[in-house]
Order: sequence, then structure tokens, then C-alpha cells
Amino acid sequence: MEILRGFLILIGFFLAGELTRLGLGLPFSGGVLGMLGLVLFLMARGRASEGLAAASQSIISVLVLLIMPGVVGIFFNVQAFNGYWIAILSALILGTLLSVVSTLLLMQWAAGGDSGKVGQ
Amino acid sequence: MTGFVEGFSVLADSPMLAVGLTLAAFVVGQAVFVRLGKPVWLPAVLVSAVFLSLAIVALPLDYPVYRQGAAWLTALLGPATVALGIPLFQQIHHIRQMLWPILITLPVGAMLAVVYTLVIAWALGATPEVLASLAPKSVTAPIAIGITEELGGSISLMMGALLLTGVIATISVDMLAARLKVGDERILGFALGLNGHAIGTVRAFEISPTAGAFASLGMSLTGLFTALLLPLLFPF
Repeated sequence: MEILRGFLILIGFFLAGELTRLGLGLPFSGGVLGMLGLVLFLMARGRASEGLAAASQSIISVLVLLIMPGVVGIFFNVQAFNGYWIAILSALILGTLLSVVSTLLLMQWAAGGDSGKVGQ
Repeated sequence: MTGFVEGFSVLADSPMLAVGLTLAAFVVGQAVFVRLGKPVWLPAVLVSAVFLSLAIVALPLDYPVYRQGAAWLTALLGPATVALGIPLFQQIHHIRQMLWPILITLPVGAMLAVVYTLVIAWALGATPEVLASLAPKSVTAPIAIGITEELGGSISLMMGALLLTGVIATISVDMLAARLKVGDERILGFALGLNGHAIGTVRAFEISPTAGAFASLGMSLTGLFTALLLPLLFPF
């Protein structure tokens, strides 16, 4: 029953997030607001209960199943973006390559001086 | 025979057919993915999606009807997004190890991931709908779905962009790390999670548990950061 209590907490934070979004007219999804609320709640509390950890692990392990209906849409909606494929593919390939290089170099630079002080 | 055809269309209107098909495609796709040796360039979800779309095409089932039934699954994406807060909470102590590098790299890196792609797409003539679908390309899927809905993009195009981005980010970290003389597993992991969301994180866990922890951290922080910032900045 522990895991069901965990699911109840997840759904509770999701509903609270949705209510916050709708009530305040915020441009964030209820899931993200719920996630933020849960992280702050756990940081204040110091630990996640076993049931909550188990519930989150089991729902995350089936995430692929939950996103599949959206992924399949690519095969049914491709024609809608005819004429833009060169823009889309160049932006994704080149943009991702550039941001990987930027991230690696920036973090390497930022970590520069203190790489010797690791683990203190 | 016509009885079966009519019976099928009744079933198609109930959610269990869509849920069953998705589950079956998931199981078959996963098995094929393992049999292929878990290639980096072919995410498991794409293999499953190919089988699922073949089934939808082969059966007298229209995609919108399938999508309606599958809403029983996609409704769980909300609580699943909340669930991502637990691994974030469990990994957050790693921040202390590299506080400043993370505080600098997260906002700049997550912004650049969006900006590079949008500028290139915009310069090549992409419409606002296409731009809105590409913007969350480095964000993990459940969070990205919420962002795309908020920005008015296409979920299908966004999902495709997400998969391609994950694959390219993973391959480019693999290829470029040595050339850029980056050897710190924590930096490699963080870059994989920030740019390549779940696909990059899977790769990072293959490098080492430390790289995996930092990838997981990079993925969830990027998701949260982008979800909170993009809807405010997107219309420019």
C-alpha cells in the first residue's frame, strides 16, 4: 500500500500545480509546478519516503510508454511540415552540435581552477 | 465477417484497444532494440513507435481515434512529470561538488541550446509553429510536452526534434570530448543531460555512475529551467 500512498502524493502535487497554473494564469504546465513544489517540499523535509520513491521509480520506468502516442504522430503529421525540413534538420543538427561544444568548453573553463579540489 | 469489422470499430472507440496496441508495440520494440545491441543512433522509443504506426496503418484505425483512446496513457504524463522531482532531489547534493561550474553552465548552456537552434531555423524561414515545436528540443519529453502546448507548437514535430537532438548530442559528446580535451566525467555527464535529455543520460550511465548522476542532474535542472523561462521569453 506504500506505493499507492506515493502515487497519491504525486497526483496531489500535480493537482496543486494545475490549480496554481489555472488560478494564477501562469504559463507553466501543472506538472512542472507540481515537480517544483515536490522538490521544495522534499528539501524542507530532508528525505523522500519509500513509497514515494517507489511510486516515482515505477512511473518513470514506463515513461517511454506514455510518450509513444505523441512520438507516433511524427509518422502521421509529416506532410504538415513539408517545405521546412531543411530548416528543421539544419537547425537541430547544427544547433545541437554548437550547444554541445559551448557547454563542454564553458563548464571546462568554469571548473578550471578548482578541478584539483574535487571531493573536499 | 462484417460483424467483426463493425465489432472492431466499436473496440476502436474504447480506450483499451489503443492502450493494448501501445503496450504491445512497446514490448516488441524493446525486444528488437535489445536484439540490435541497444544502438545509440536508434532510440528504443523510435523502434516501438515504428511498430505502433505500422499497426495503426494496417488496422482500420485512424490516428485521431487512436490518439483519443491513448489519452488514458498520456493523462499520466502529468504525475510522471512531478515524479521527476524525486531523482532531482536525490541527485541535488552533487551540485555542491561543482557549485559554480553548474550555476554558470546551466543557464547559459540551456539558453544556448534553444537560441542556436531557433536562430538557424528562423534564418532558414521556419514558421512560428515550427519554432515553437523546436524550442524545447533539449528538454526531457514529459516537460517538453507541457512547454510545447504552452507555446503553441506541434507535439509530433517536437517529439521528432527531441529524439534527433538526443541522438546528435550523444554522438557529438562522444566524438568531441577528447578533441576538446574534456576528460572530467562530471562535465561529460552534465553536458549529456543538458543537451541530450534522457537519451544522453542513458549514455552517461554507460560511461560511469558519476557521469550518470551528473547527467540526471543536468537533465532535470535544464527541464525545470527551460520550462520556467521559455514561456516568459518566447514571444520575445
